[in-house]
Amino acid sequence: MNDIGEFALLVALATALYGCVSYIMAVRGNRVDLYLSADKTPLIVWGCVAIASAALWRAFLTDDFSLQYVWAYSNREMGTFYKIASFWGGQKGSLLFWTFLLTTYMSVAYLQNRKKNVALMPYAMTVMLVIVVFFLFLLNFSTNPFERIPLPPEDGRGLNPLLQNYWMVIHPPTLYLGYVGFTVPFAFAMAALITKNLDDGWIRLTRKWTLLAWFFLCLGNLFGAAWAYVELGWGGYWAWDPVENAAFMPLLVATAYLHSVMIQEKKDMMKVWNMSLVLLTFVMTIFGTFITRSGLIQSVHTFDEATLGYFFLGFLGVVIAICTTLIIKRLPLLKSKNELDSFLSRESSFLFNNLLLLGIAFATFWGTIFPIISEAVRGVKITVGPPFYNQVNVPIGLALLALIGIGPLIAWRRATLSNLKKNFVKPVAAALVAGAALFPFLPLDGRADILAYIAFILCVFVMGCILSEFFKGTAARMDLHEESPLAALSALTWRNKRRYGGYVVHIGVVLIFAGIAGSQAYGTHDQKHLQKGESIQIRDYTVTYERLLAKEETSIKSRVIAQLGVYRDGRRVWTGNPEKEFYKGSNQPVSEVDVLSSWKEDVYLILADFTEDEAATIKVYINPMVSWIWTGGWVIAFGTVVCMWPDRLEERRRVMRQKKQDAAFSPAQE
Amino acid sequence: MINKKAKFIVGSVLIVSAIAYLISAGISSTSQYFFTVDELMSQKASYAGAGLKVKGTVVDGSIIRDPNDYLKVNFSIAEKTSNLKVVYQGVTPDMFADGREVVVEGTLTKEGVFHANTLLTSCPSKYEAEKEAGKMHPGTLPGYESKETVPESPAASPKTTI
Repeated sequence: MNDIGEFALLVALATALYGCVSYIMAVRGNRVDLYLSADKTPLIVWGCVAIASAALWRAFLTDDFSLQYVWAYSNREMGTFYKIASFWGGQKGSLLFWTFLLTTYMSVAYLQNRKKNVALMPYAMTVMLVIVVFFLFLLNFSTNPFERIPLPPEDGRGLNPLLQNYWMVIHPPTLYLGYVGFTVPFAFAMAALITKNLDDGWIRLTRKWTLLAWFFLCLGNLFGAAWAYVELGWGGYWAWDPVENAAFMPLLVATAYLHSVMIQEKKDMMKVWNMSLVLLTFVMTIFGTFITRSGLIQSVHTFDEATLGYFFLGFLGVVIAICTTLIIKRLPLLKSKNELDSFLSRESSFLFNNLLLLGIAFATFWGTIFPIISEAVRGVKITVGPPFYNQVNVPIGLALLALIGIGPLIAWRRATLSNLKKNFVKPVAAALVAGAALFPFLPLDGRADILAYIAFILCVFVMGCILSEFFKGTAARMDLHEESPLAALSALTWRNKRRYGGYVVHIGVVLIFAGIAGSQAYGTHDQKHLQKGESIQIRDYTVTYERLLAKEETSIKSRVIAQLGVYRDGRRVWTGNPEKEFYKGSNQPVSEVDVLSSWKEDVYLILADFTEDEAATIKVYINPMVSWIWTGGWVIAFGTVVCMWPDRLEERRRVMRQKKQDAAFSPAQE
Repeated sequence: MINKKAKFIVGSVLIVSAIAYLISAGISSTSQYFFTVDELMSQKASYAGAGLKVKGTVVDGSIIRDPNDYLKVNFSIAEKTSNLKVVYQGVTPDMFADGREVVVEGTLTKEGVFHANTLLTSCPSKYEAEKEAGKMHPGTLPGYESKETVPESPAASPKTTI
């Protein structure tokens, strides 16, 4: 099987290369026979990569330690789930997994569009095949997952204990689905540029793809945060680590794109901008991969990985050069027919939202690469940490939050005073009332407190804006169709999926903002080295260290558990059991935290250390409102699914709008 | 028409420059120099009081815990030619021991003692799996596996906001 897998990768590379060349030759030379044969390559490449992936999975499941990769990331004692997940536990396998997802996306896009979009298809397929060739080249000649060990060892080294939990099965695939998904819009955008089909055809074609990739990337980021929070035991969920930033930046750029693309669909504006954003999103995913794989930013990785980093850097350079050249060449064709009218208009609120999103992305980018730049320019390595990102991104984020409320309600083209009054009086009033009501209860001592206070007021304002939209629509339907409120609300949402699904996503974003503000500003923690019976007092909780338990779980894993009684107002509310797990063959224990979670706050316990006399160092965090972040995440997921749901009405409305535009060529007022 | 365009260009430029200001102000007020022990000690006078990150190896036998307070630790880190005394208050990472490579964050006093508010230990290659999988964990800097932060002096570790 291993030979078959290795061979399949070679065949895939050859086929993909043939595909690129023959697609182009067929289109240039008008050769139908060549086109027909080229058109078979996407599925063949997918098949070969699937065979190779199956072979590697088989090796994991059958403990075939003759493969260096299986030996390095698996062992006999691991459960089936972790054996499956070990596939992406290391560099080589994760690249194969990446390629497998990429070719799967390519094949679905191929099956979906091969009859419908004959003009764009050959070029879009070529672009995707070129990217596939790059990855297959790495897999064949640089990081071959089928590398053998001549004398197979008895047992493998096993997956890093830190990775052995269920998030390892969920988080990486979700993130990769997001990362890789942006290749499809990128390929069609490139095809549109090459073939000069620059109307909004490629945008409609890839809207759902972009949403899908965005959905997975967003969930992937949140799963990563949740993993960090519940498993890694440092009390937080986001640390502005370069690799987190790498996943965060494409999400921001893609969010900007998803918004500004609506302006192009409705008003035929911002064409260059949209094209640049979709290309930039893809570039950011490659840049993120480069950061993750090269070790350049942290410069503590092994030499082998650094070489792989140069491959990605080269690829990144080529992609940026091609994108820039193409856009500049096509600038005359990307001219917009309409212009922005007024600051107070929905169009300009979209423009500002884009600038703010890109602002956060750029600040994050700059902070990530700053050590390299400072070393190159000044010869001193200067690093920035979480304080930098917080100081810069929080004000921008708050402005963005305000726009989430303003954008959907403000009139197109030019908002009048009466329009502003009609739409914004109630939300503003609600925000002011909330601000006054919260004032006596919240401390306002430092910068963090004040920013959180502003954030809460803005959250209420935005919720007011969104809910008033739902309320207006529902009331109108109730009058018109004599429906019950609930029926009217669901019919409203279901018949305008994009619009109201988008609002649902916004509600989720507001929840996340509130959760971040609450947990960052009002959180507190304490740590003490406790003897049995001693306590930590924190807020209105008393945490008492009761005893230490040692357990031999399996032959390779043992646990040390601290039992902690948590009291509130003298009443025992919970028994927490944070622990440390020790794995055979690994000299570092893994901390398992214990969390008592509620909508108000989390009590978060860590067993940081223990000594021979059974004294233990306990860390206690009080993290307010963290559960709002996870709830917000699920709301976003639900809203995105509503947006993505197939919709015939939407298509009909689009055609109507197109006709209207063509006939009168005056932008319709909504 | 031209006026309209100019208006938007001015508006956008204002936003962009506000963001640029935030970034440059953020860098100048939060950045830390990253040195090895030798680099720092050759020019230590100029960096007293500034936010610093220093990398070095724990000197054998230098770790002393305060008998009254388990969480108070004194130790020294060294490189080829020089040696730096470190005072740290907080939980030490699991891998913290003689001969380990560590990174400390904090400030240097005029007397040449380093007050660390963060202590990171660098990790042996066994954990490269984690990095490769593309999931560097929050709080786990690449190559450093455990992070314990104690906000000690407000000047050295600005309170983390949002």
